Amino acid sequence: MTGTYLIRIRNIILLILVQSLIFNRIHLFGYATAAVYLIFLLKLPRYTSRNELLLWAFIMGITIDLFGSTPGINAAAATLLAFVRNPILESFIQKSNPEDLTPGIPSMRFGGYMSYATICITIFYTALYILELFTIRYPMTLLIGVASSTLLTILFILVTEKFSSK
Amino acid sequence: MQTILNFIIKHNHWFLFVLFEGISFMLIVQFNNYQGATFFTSANSMAGNIFGATKNMVEYFSLGTRNQELLAHNSELMNEVVQLRSQIAELQNEAAMRGDTIVRSYSSQFKFNTANIVNNSLNKLNNFIVIDKGKSDGVEAEMGVFSSKGVVGIIYLTSEQYSLVLPLLNSKSNISCRIQGNSEFSTLQWDGKDTRYSYLVDLPKYTHFERGDTVVTSGFSSIFPAGIPVGSIESLEESLDGMFYRAKVELFVDFGELSSVFVVGNKGHNEQQILESNIPKE
Repeated sequence: MTGTYLIRIRNIILLILVQSLIFNRIHLFGYATAAVYLIFLLKLPRYTSRNELLLWAFIMGITIDLFGSTPGINAAAATLLAFVRNPILESFIQKSNPEDLTPGIPSMRFGGYMSYATICITIFYTALYILELFTIRYPMTLLIGVASSTLLTILFILVTEKFSSK
Repeated sequence: MQTILNFIIKHNHWFLFVLFEGISFMLIVQFNNYQGATFFTSANSMAGNIFGATKNMVEYFSLGTRNQELLAHNSELMNEVVQLRSQIAELQNEAAMRGDTIVRSYSSQFKFNTANIVNNSLNKLNNFIVIDKGKSDGVEAEMGVFSSKGVVGIIYLTSEQYSLVLPLLNSKSNISCRIQGNSEFSTLQWDGKDTRYSYLVDLPKYTHFERGDTVVTSGFSSIFPAGIPVGSIESLEESLDGMFYRAKVELFVDFGELSSVFVVGNKGHNEQQILESNIPKE
């Protein structure tokens, strides 16, 4: 049990560093960024309680904010994602699936995992962009930003999935 | 009582959710209003140190270009120094012939300081830059920041070692500018879209200028000395109410390429602020 948590904390530190030092600096076409650190939340096993998900999400979000000078924005969006993750996951797997199922292409098939990831990431980015734009009225910027960033993140999730399955 | 407790235990994730979202929103709101919240930005020392270390590693790859840029800037400055010296000498001669004793000294008004950029963002509506000079180096809020190419932004928050810069690429940035060779001044604002362009929003309609004209700082805000280049006019349109021109300005500074900047402090700034704060509000 302690072992899994140590590995998780190591993964969190790695993902936060990769996110803030590399991915936060990639902006395709001036809009799209990839939030690869969300992979951690998506890949937590099925039995993970909502409380635990919320805690991890908040810690990661606030650390990313700390590095990116965006206080509270990532934390709020990631907490929202953590809150809705379990119901979304349940809707793409059978009741009979094992409790310790780790979401991924091997366990959920390609279509199932992609739909699950796309819905989660879209919710995250919609919240993120609304919080960031807050008082400004640019619906087009919002749409393009959410769509392109979600696409880019999904792309990176696919890549990591391909590498980890081998 | 028992039912309430049961309810809380059964729905505890809701409370945790509300708690975390509450903290996040508090941070968002606080950062927008309260100027002292440096801890939760990358101007705090831990994030600053990590960014500083990675920057040190990456910096080596661009040393050649930086060197070229600095040399070019150096030679430009040398030319200017020579030109100004000859002008001063001429003026002093003239003054001596007339018997004038009034020689104003401008050199002591502004104080310059160099700084390196440790973190930079481009993709948000409100971008920020972190530099490695803070209060202990004499950097204060509302000092001007510019690079060898032109204006970068204004110091927003400072901690002991680092400062947060509000760059031109931030929707909150307002910098007083004018078009070179013109006396009318206007405000530069960013629309949050393209990082290469910003807009002069309230140019009076009688202003005469052409595409390609240079936009410089006006010097009215007392943050920047007058005449620091900002960008060049790219295109022109009428403002929504038809009262003013709105000019698209191509910025000289490439914010993705920035690595070192100058910080300029005006010794008269506080004095001017105090005077201006006495203007009666309507």
